[in-house]
Amino acid sequence: MKRTNLWLGLAVACLALLAAPLVFAFDYQKIEKTVSKHTLANGLRILVMERHEAPVASFVTYCDVGGVDDPKEYTGMAHMFEHMAFKGTQMVGTNDINAELAAMRVEDSLFYLLRAERKKGILADSTRLIELEKAFNEAIDKANEYVVANEFDNIFERNGAVGMNAGTGMDQTSYIMSLPSNKLELWMAMESARFKEPVLREMYRERNVIGEERRQTLENNPIMRAIDVLKSTAFTAHPYGISIVGHMSDINNYTRDAAKAFFEKYYVPSNMIIAVVGDVDPQQVFQLAEKYWGDIPYSPEPEPVATVEPEQQGERRVVLEDPAQPIFAAAWHIPEYTHPDFPAVQAMMDYLGQGRTSLLYKNLVKEKKIAADVGSFAGYPGSKYPTLALVYAMPAAEKSNPECEEQVYIEIERLKNELLSAEDVEEIKARAKAGFINGLVSNLGMASQLASAENDWGDWRALFRELDRINAVTAEDIQRVAKQYFTKNNRTVVYLNTVQS
Amino acid sequence: MLKRTFLLCAMLLWALSLTATAQEIDKITFPKLNEFEIPKVEKIQLDNGMRIYLLPDKTLPLFNISVRINAGSWLEPADKAGLADLTATVMRTGGTRTWSGDEIDELLEGIGAAVETNMQDVEGGAFVNVLSEYVDTGLAVLTEVLRYPRFDQEKIDLALVQQRSNISRRNDEVGDIALREWRKLVYGPESPYARTVEYATLDNITREDLVAFHGQYIKPENIQIAVSGDFDKGKIVTKLKKLFGDWKRGSNDGLTPPPVTYDWRKKIYYAEKKDAKQSYIRIGHLGGLVKDPDYADKIVMNAILGGGFGSRLTDEVRTRLGLAYSAGGRYVSNFSYPGYFFAVASTDPGNTVKATRAMINEIKTMHTDPPTDMEMQKGKDGYLNSFVFNFDSQREIVNRIMSFDFYGLPENFLDMEKAGVQEVTKDAVLAASKRNLFPDSMIILVVGDSSKFDLPLDSIGWGAPEAVDIAIPAPKAADQAELQVNDANLGKGKEILARGIEAHGGMDAFAKVSTVTATVTLKLIMNGQEIPLGLKSWQQLPDNEKTELNAMGRMMVSVMLGDKGWQTNPQTGALEAMSPEDVASGQEDNARGTIRVFQAFNKPYYQAVYNGSGTVAGIPVDWVALVNDKGESFARFGFNTADGTHAAQSYIGQTPLGEGLLTETYSDLREFGGIKMPMVTSVEMNGQKVMEHKVSEYSVNAPIAAEVFAVPQ
Repeated sequence: MKRTNLWLGLAVACLALLAAPLVFAFDYQKIEKTVSKHTLANGLRILVMERHEAPVASFVTYCDVGGVDDPKEYTGMAHMFEHMAFKGTQMVGTNDINAELAAMRVEDSLFYLLRAERKKGILADSTRLIELEKAFNEAIDKANEYVVANEFDNIFERNGAVGMNAGTGMDQTSYIMSLPSNKLELWMAMESARFKEPVLREMYRERNVIGEERRQTLENNPIMRAIDVLKSTAFTAHPYGISIVGHMSDINNYTRDAAKAFFEKYYVPSNMIIAVVGDVDPQQVFQLAEKYWGDIPYSPEPEPVATVEPEQQGERRVVLEDPAQPIFAAAWHIPEYTHPDFPAVQAMMDYLGQGRTSLLYKNLVKEKKIAADVGSFAGYPGSKYPTLALVYAMPAAEKSNPECEEQVYIEIERLKNELLSAEDVEEIKARAKAGFINGLVSNLGMASQLASAENDWGDWRALFRELDRINAVTAEDIQRVAKQYFTKNNRTVVYLNTVQS
Repeated sequence: MLKRTFLLCAMLLWALSLTATAQEIDKITFPKLNEFEIPKVEKIQLDNGMRIYLLPDKTLPLFNISVRINAGSWLEPADKAGLADLTATVMRTGGTRTWSGDEIDELLEGIGAAVETNMQDVEGGAFVNVLSEYVDTGLAVLTEVLRYPRFDQEKIDLALVQQRSNISRRNDEVGDIALREWRKLVYGPESPYARTVEYATLDNITREDLVAFHGQYIKPENIQIAVSGDFDKGKIVTKLKKLFGDWKRGSNDGLTPPPVTYDWRKKIYYAEKKDAKQSYIRIGHLGGLVKDPDYADKIVMNAILGGGFGSRLTDEVRTRLGLAYSAGGRYVSNFSYPGYFFAVASTDPGNTVKATRAMINEIKTMHTDPPTDMEMQKGKDGYLNSFVFNFDSQREIVNRIMSFDFYGLPENFLDMEKAGVQEVTKDAVLAASKRNLFPDSMIILVVGDSSKFDLPLDSIGWGAPEAVDIAIPAPKAADQAELQVNDANLGKGKEILARGIEAHGGMDAFAKVSTVTATVTLKLIMNGQEIPLGLKSWQQLPDNEKTELNAMGRMMVSVMLGDKGWQTNPQTGALEAMSPEDVASGQEDNARGTIRVFQAFNKPYYQAVYNGSGTVAGIPVDWVALVNDKGESFARFGFNTADGTHAAQSYIGQTPLGEGLLTETYSDLREFGGIKMPMVTSVEMNGQKVMEHKVSEYSVNAPIAAEVFAVPQ
């Protein structure tokens, strides 16, 4: 479909003469040979990639649990537990574990009483509420006396950890950091301890931190406000419709017992993968893993979510009246990441809205100047289950959502009616290849990708087969998925419309 | 009995397991870190002053270039804020001598490559990222973009559209507002380090400005190039010499950004953001330079003060009090001009004052509480143990050496910094805090919804808060000419106005008009949605007017009697006296009325000044600005060039979509009592239709019942 301008063709030809680049094939097998895998008797899988350029290593603990697994009335629990995993263990983070555990039990019982009273709503006894709240806060302060704040972090940090963090998605939770490579054993000891004997200390006050995180990242951010309502409209049954951080009322509803039950169900070795990339010896990594993680008992892998989103019966539209400037977004239901159609949808999204040569950028931004920014991607809010492909446009100043929406559909129709040229398809693949190789640069990026390939396909080698999947896509595949999934009936649209507050 | 024994056994095992883990963590001995050689960067200077830094890394087939340009927005004139950024953007998008911008896009994206340019306050940049098989393409595009940009007007227009969109969206997030206003408070609103791009400054920028900015500053003596990735050193040097060797040196020796003058003060500011779900708080004052002698002490001080978990700000405000998700702070040291010291948190509006106080208290402890052993471990050991991460990426190494070289720092500056940190003591941290942090002379900025604060900001003890105005100045009309009050324009303005009055029925007919009543149907258009409204109005010229707006079954009334006004309180439904601002705005509205203006022709009420010609809704018009006795233009009337009728007017005004440039266009003229008035009015805001106004009943000089203009009780 894209016609290369004559002058550009000439210029490329000149460059080719000038440079005569060697066409070379990147040797993935050479990289594959640096990766080893070991599985413990309890089911924990360990991946190691040797890279000896600098004496550092990156660590990822990948857990196959995310927002989709949140229990009813406890949305955001997967994310809550991720916060709690930094609170330490029986040994780290306390100055008197026995006294602390006793004080925590007092917190728990008072919270149950308080919660029961709160749930009575307007019939609640207001005096009793005040008394309970006071007692509860005192219990929190009392338990805090035994806490050595953020000790778990501090031990890692003073040992040179950088980029220590964790992320919860709809599908997975990852705990990440990089350390000087001689601190391998420290990581093994500390990381295993937090998943062996976590102490959910400071939990009730951490709920406030999460409440602030919700306000900061979702409620105070117009793009997230729009996308949140888009996905909750697109999903009526599947938990992909609920935000990862959870409803504010559910956050305030969390109990320590609920968090603990969640941990015991999902944080089992058969549901976890650790990946280490850097200046390490794989045999030593495996030995230390046996020593520190081997004593966690086996427990069966929890089952995936059973709920399936019913087929959408017609277009859904939702309007958000908001003080921010206009935003347009639309989403279509598409299959999950491992489905054979997924690479074709990814290729379509690349051609439709990624980069300055994409259809949407050329039409809405460059030519009509009705949008300041456009984009499209496949696999939101997750990709383990059937998910969404998403397109957005930020109307330029003085331009509107309907103007942008109209042009977005014109470009999608173009993909249904016209076949991409062989050259277009090759360019999509060239971008995928460059993106893939750039993704191999950092140790941490490598560790994350190995772990998720192992998780998604049961074999980390799938990471290096990913390009084969994209390379198999044809122009006909792209046209077919455009026709099959990008229909009006399968579409959900959100307008963020500006109103003065 | 047995049960009891089991229980005891379980407890014993548990206790044992605890000791085991405890000993294990303390017992772990760390092997020596594997030896590794810090790679050496090669540096070459071309005769024209351009500097090249090279560090090959063959691990992956990638090729990267980072360019540092010694130029920035500090070099643009204040009334052309945005020029430096636009120049950098359009260098990449606006085409070169060989290719159009679109061709460059195709060329790069077809191979998954990127070449981008940017310009910040004191530094510009460019980068190339390509697979190493395409090194020559990357180099060719970089050369063209740096040396031969052609600045196509169409791509300048595109960049302007994007800049204007950024302006319109800049108040959408509290964090963005806080950072922008913070820089203005620290460096001063006029400082090149706190410059804000406005619609007006963009209007002042021409293509010639971009060409001149590029021609002056993008010169080899201002350029450093850092090359990393999979390449052959000898070949790349030959290529770079060939591409850049003949580039003529410019005249930019000794370009140094201006110094900062800081007004030390204890003061609190706030910016009202009614829809904010969180308050954003910044506290601090001016900061320092990397070259400061106590820089190493401040590295440790920063870790203790606000550097994440284990720091005083984070542990107190986030972990202990649960008031914020993001809480921290840092004393920023820059290379070229002083940074700033800041503490930051965003919190529930109902905790604003509580969080602000907690932050101030933690900053104060830096003067009173010397660091603990644990804090020193965090600050010093953390720094020293993670030092190796400075050398795990060749790309970062070569970029850093390029930066050090520009600022005249030795290549081993990091080793010196490390030696400095090794020497830092508790006393040194305390002394550095006292020397650099001034808790009693800090400025505080709060952005949020003040109606939801836990306590008034006065209660913090920082004096009465000063409001910071974040309203975005509206753009002017695209065709608006500079208003020049001179005899020629006064004569022409009066002539056009007189012709207009004639076309609408003549001066005598207008002089006889004493009352007007009208029934109108309105359509309010917001983002493609139409809201139907009904309106009835009574006018008793010159100053009395009553309007009843029927909004979906609810009635909103406004009454103006001379210099007094009343309107319906939307919450209670009661008619209440207007605020002085609303009265003023009502009077302005009346003053712009066509009949009112025509009746005042030749009276000292205004001067009519010709203000250029243009087109409105496809109709050519002559513009006449109405200028009051203070020399301010309070309205612009557009008269149809062909028949002389009043076709449009434009002014800055408020709508439910916010403040903007409103343009009213008139059509369907009909005669009532000797005057011709438009039955249809269409209103556009910033070029987008926001309202349509259709008269269904209209009468001139019909008697108005006395109760209509009765003073509301």
